[in-house]
Amino acid sequence: MGLKIFHIHFRLGLLLGFLQVAGPLAADASDGHWAYERPVRPELPRLAKRESQGSPVDHFIQDRLAKAGLEYSRLAKPERQLRRLYLDLVGRPPQPGEGLPFLANPSSREYERLVDLLLASPQYGEKWARRWLDLARYADSNGFQADQLRDSWAYRDWVIEAFNSGMPFDQFAIEQLAGDLLPGATLTQKIATGFHRTPTCNVEAGVHPESNRVNQVIDRVNTTGTVFLGTTLECAQCHDHKYDPISMKEYYELFAFFNNTPLEVKNTSGVTWDFYGPKMDLPLSRAKAASRAKLADEMKAREDEKKSIQRSLAVELKEWEAIVIEQLKTAPQWTALEIEKFEATGGASHTIKDDLSVLVHGKNPDKSTYTARVKPEGVQRISAIRLETLLDDSMKKRGPGRNFDVPENPNFVLNEFSLKVNGEKIAFSRATASFSQAKYDVAGAIDGKAKTAWAVNPQFGRPHEAVFLLKNELSVKEVSLLEFQLVQHHGGGRTIGRLRLSVVDGDPAKLSLPSDVQTILLAEKRTNEQTKRLAGYYASQHPRLKELDQRLVKLKSERNAIRPDSTLVMNEMGGARETRVMLRGDYLNTGEAVSSGTPAVLHSFDDRLPGNRLGLAKWLVAPENPLMSRVAVNRWWASFMGQGIVSTQEDFGTQGEAPTHPGLLDWLAVELVESGWSMKHIHKLIVMSHAYRQSSIVSSGHLEKDPANKLYARAPRVRMSAEMIRDSALATSGLLEGRMFGPPIYPPQPDGIWRHVGRNAPKFVPATNENRFRRGVYVVWRRGAPYASFVNFDAPDRGACVVDRPRTNTPLQALTLLNDHAYVEMALAFANRIVSEPGLATDEQRIRFAFRVALSREAKPVEVGYLKSLLAKRDAELANAPKTAEALVGEARGMAFTKAATKCLAKWFTVANILLNLDEAIVKG
Amino acid sequence: MIPKQNYYLNETRREFLKHTGAGIGALGLASAMNGNLFAAPGAGPLFPRKPHRPARAKNIIYIHLVGGPSHLELFDYKPELVRRNGEKCPDHMFKGKQLAFIREHPTLLGTRFKYHAHGQGGLKLSEHLPLMGTIADELAIVKTVRTEQFNHAPAQLFLHTGFERFGRPGIGSWVSYGLGTENRDLPSYVVLITGSVAGAGNSLWGSGFLPTLHQGVEFRSKGDPVLFLSNPKGIDPGSRRDIVDGINFLNKTALADVGDPEIATRIAQYELAYRMQSSVPELMEIRNERTATLEAYGAKPGATSLANNCLLARRLVEKGVRFVQLFDQGWDHHSGLFGSIPNKARQLDRPVAALIADLRERGLLDETLIVIGAEFGRTPMLQGLSNNRAANNVGRDHHKEAYSMVFAGGGIRGGVSHGATDELGYAAVEDPVHIHDINATILHQLGLDHERLTFKYQGRQFRLTDVHGEIVHGILS
Repeated sequence: MGLKIFHIHFRLGLLLGFLQVAGPLAADASDGHWAYERPVRPELPRLAKRESQGSPVDHFIQDRLAKAGLEYSRLAKPERQLRRLYLDLVGRPPQPGEGLPFLANPSSREYERLVDLLLASPQYGEKWARRWLDLARYADSNGFQADQLRDSWAYRDWVIEAFNSGMPFDQFAIEQLAGDLLPGATLTQKIATGFHRTPTCNVEAGVHPESNRVNQVIDRVNTTGTVFLGTTLECAQCHDHKYDPISMKEYYELFAFFNNTPLEVKNTSGVTWDFYGPKMDLPLSRAKAASRAKLADEMKAREDEKKSIQRSLAVELKEWEAIVIEQLKTAPQWTALEIEKFEATGGASHTIKDDLSVLVHGKNPDKSTYTARVKPEGVQRISAIRLETLLDDSMKKRGPGRNFDVPENPNFVLNEFSLKVNGEKIAFSRATASFSQAKYDVAGAIDGKAKTAWAVNPQFGRPHEAVFLLKNELSVKEVSLLEFQLVQHHGGGRTIGRLRLSVVDGDPAKLSLPSDVQTILLAEKRTNEQTKRLAGYYASQHPRLKELDQRLVKLKSERNAIRPDSTLVMNEMGGARETRVMLRGDYLNTGEAVSSGTPAVLHSFDDRLPGNRLGLAKWLVAPENPLMSRVAVNRWWASFMGQGIVSTQEDFGTQGEAPTHPGLLDWLAVELVESGWSMKHIHKLIVMSHAYRQSSIVSSGHLEKDPANKLYARAPRVRMSAEMIRDSALATSGLLEGRMFGPPIYPPQPDGIWRHVGRNAPKFVPATNENRFRRGVYVVWRRGAPYASFVNFDAPDRGACVVDRPRTNTPLQALTLLNDHAYVEMALAFANRIVSEPGLATDEQRIRFAFRVALSREAKPVEVGYLKSLLAKRDAELANAPKTAEALVGEARGMAFTKAATKCLAKWFTVANILLNLDEAIVKG
Repeated sequence: MIPKQNYYLNETRREFLKHTGAGIGALGLASAMNGNLFAAPGAGPLFPRKPHRPARAKNIIYIHLVGGPSHLELFDYKPELVRRNGEKCPDHMFKGKQLAFIREHPTLLGTRFKYHAHGQGGLKLSEHLPLMGTIADELAIVKTVRTEQFNHAPAQLFLHTGFERFGRPGIGSWVSYGLGTENRDLPSYVVLITGSVAGAGNSLWGSGFLPTLHQGVEFRSKGDPVLFLSNPKGIDPGSRRDIVDGINFLNKTALADVGDPEIATRIAQYELAYRMQSSVPELMEIRNERTATLEAYGAKPGATSLANNCLLARRLVEKGVRFVQLFDQGWDHHSGLFGSIPNKARQLDRPVAALIADLRERGLLDETLIVIGAEFGRTPMLQGLSNNRAANNVGRDHHKEAYSMVFAGGGIRGGVSHGATDELGYAAVEDPVHIHDINATILHQLGLDHERLTFKYQGRQFRLTDVHGEIVHGILS
């Protein structure tokens, strides 16, 4: 019995151990797992036979092959090697004339020269960026409803440039994770942080900003784990798992590194939310900078003129003051009206204050009409009405409008101001105001039109007034009741918060001075501020100054309209957010508080490192990190060789596959670190190897002994990525435009692919200029509807990090290459290239040329024979069908052909279309 | 066929069989396995696979009413809500709740529509679904579906992928992955859309981490029914045949030289692509359906309508397409509820009634599961600015606590109402059913065990239903 109880307790203890947020247990789960031990450079295996192979890589591969009773294949034909290198290093096939020294003398020395040449090509970065952008889930849109576009292409360009410049891979990681936190961070280091500003963002109505933010942080944590550690952290988000080396608590310790970012959606009005969050202006483009400079020059000239006028103003002002003060002393005075009854529709309350102003408060209805009834006393005649909109602490920026819709802009919109005397409407002759917003002139308030109105944006936080002159003076003797009506039906609660009504008897011309200016003029002593205000007012009435000011306002708005491009960046908020474990991954249901930290199963976090993203980045690139270098070389290996040394590229954990060549993996990983994290160095090591350079021909022996080619007795044959297929076809057709960088491009795709609706839904307008033919890495990536032909070739939606795209083989791919308008255009351009190439006399010569262009090899007789007879057949068909040829050639947009060439192009389209569709054209083999 | 090539084709098959023998979980690991779409008889990831258990349905037609129709106007009659129309809603329905649009304490909104009982089961349906009433004894209505998301795009992702963010496969891809297809000339998973695309976009039928050949293929009603299906101008079927022959001749030459089985697959895919150029337009052409059939559905040749899509769905399952997904936009009634519902209901009522009757007549209803669902339902509370809005312009906000989904066909018990909401139609009081339960049940009917249908990705076995999912036995026959 006693034993049994002990047993139960023991079991229970174990169980609790599993449920706990437990470090020691986690360590057990991964005890001795190879991937958590720091790699040590192994000895190169000795080869039995003396081999003169190109790279240390071969020692490991041949060692394994020998043990399996297999051998390397012989070197691939030089033209194959050339094509393979171009495809792998610059992402397109070589063109006739390229690689000639190597083809003439296919020695290792010439091969190496070629490798160096291609590694130095700017197209190297364009080729290699694609894979990284899949990892970085880079896209040009937010995802979710409406799926609006965002600008972060400068980050994409940064990746291309980083690869081209040979930026050490550790630096590459640091700048992307924490470029903004580096001391004296440069512009490009900040751009690099766009890496973690790529997560999707929902801006639907009713979205909860914090939930969005938490989702984005989760995405950052998971992506960091996958990209730099080859480790799935996601599992630890909700629970602890028995076999998982990373505990739930450790997950949230990683979370804490990223938890100090601001919200990225903002309530811009009503139920409208917008994608927000930190972005950074880029330097102005040259063209924009030029127009800006031109505007600045004119502004300077106008300012100068203004200043010289102002200098002479001081004297004029003195003279004017003397006259006006005299006039004012005899001028009529405003009398504020005592309001007897005030009403506001829509449920707002009001209070009449001692200064006779009415303060409207309480509910702020969408729209409201004010009515004020007055029985005038002590006034004989009325020649004008003044409406003052005053300030009050109850309003944002103290007013003068209430406006709940956009709280930072306390505007009001007065659609109509009217006056009835004894029930009869009175006409106004004119209205003036201290300030009127553009397109909302005060005249709109008395024009009887419901739409036009008076408003004061952006002059908030200061009182305003409008003066309405009566068409005919009013004698008060006959007046028993004045009824004012203020219609404010613009919506969004744009109503006046505090107002006062006054009347005056006398010459309206004398009243054109604003009341505060009158007060200043009549004051015995003026404050500095009053003196300034007076001078300002006088200047504002000067005709030429008025003109200059108007022009300057226009120039300024034109200058401000020239906005630099911007890009999304990471930004640390002041003061750290508290991070808590989220139970079951739910941000509204939190457990214990944690601070930033790294998983115990990996190397320790150096105490001298800061506890922020920069510290995390430096921890990741520390040479003790057993994963980062292995994960990187493994991905590169897979890209060249068709599969990873660890075939589960995204999972180096205990559930992942064991490496096929552990020694090679560690050797390359150590080599990467010791070469100063040089990606190009590792790439060169791989492509210099015999393993890479050998033939890809599959023998029956291969299929028998190593069908999946895990031992590399032959080179892999791998279908190219969607972008590479398009880039290659563009290169073949001669259409490829080399221009690099900049905003996304819109090559042709069928109508109706972008069908999202909603606010700011962008339109897909195919480019008709060079942007139609630029490389795939620049094609706009809309997550809800990526570029259609890319999708058919396994491109992801980039909603989340993708390590390795699948490579399917489907009829939809056949249809794409046969019929996609983009590919039809390329085939026509290729046909044109074939028929325009000088020095070709016969169909056979043209066919041979086409093979060299598209497939980088000589055509075989059987191929030439087949195509020749097909061309003859097509020629005969077209002889009697001129319309057919015209229709086909008419499919090409974005290029023009001579009419004379029509039939010839239609004929050669057949060959061009065939070659662009061949397995060989879309496979690296 | 030259002998050497024949050998390689056989090799391809052997390869695939070897790997499929290792279990379907192994499929995603090697790119070699990703080959071969609908062709290559006897091989490939889309080769029909045995279900985990005897299936009650072979195919599924899933109609997603995008935007979230009001269950209170269509399926769930709440007289108490009508009686208390205009009262402030009880606090628990508003205080501390996250709603998309309602900001001020709202009033209750009773339906203005009548309900009628139908069939032997006495199933109550809105007066605007009279024809569905005629087949009511085929329908099972689950009235207590609960989701976790109240914004469109996340809720749509959650409904289809069991996860509110991007990156996971949808139920159609899971089914394709689990069962393959019986028609080697058509995709296993076809999508038909009326109106603009749902908020979450193409990701709803994307394959997530599953091999991309399990993604849904959209058959479009405008332009090419399948993207890039038609030849450019000036290329007639004869010229296209010549070109495909040329491609395949050269590819066969390469196959003989290089020996890569993938080339054999590509040859087959070009043949299939060529066949699809005539078979898909033929399938999409409803002109030769009987006039009586067209009228029953309310379908018109050349139109884009739910009616046409329901008819196409029948044609697709007839051909053995495993999963037919329909999306119908226009159910997001924040305003104009009582004006819009009769119109939208009319667009739904006739085609669905006709589809079920048509399948029954052809003996296909028993093997076809029909699901009518949405990402969420609507609040029992009124949405709409109380002033300056005409009374007939009121609407309802998004609602995740409880709403209705309708099932029919393969293995479904007809004339059944499952679960009950409270008297105001706000939350379940009897037999709550979560989205994971719905998905588990759909898989179950197709013979798939939702706990065994897994895919290893990033070191973890993923499931459509995560760690949840209970089969809703109450609606099963």
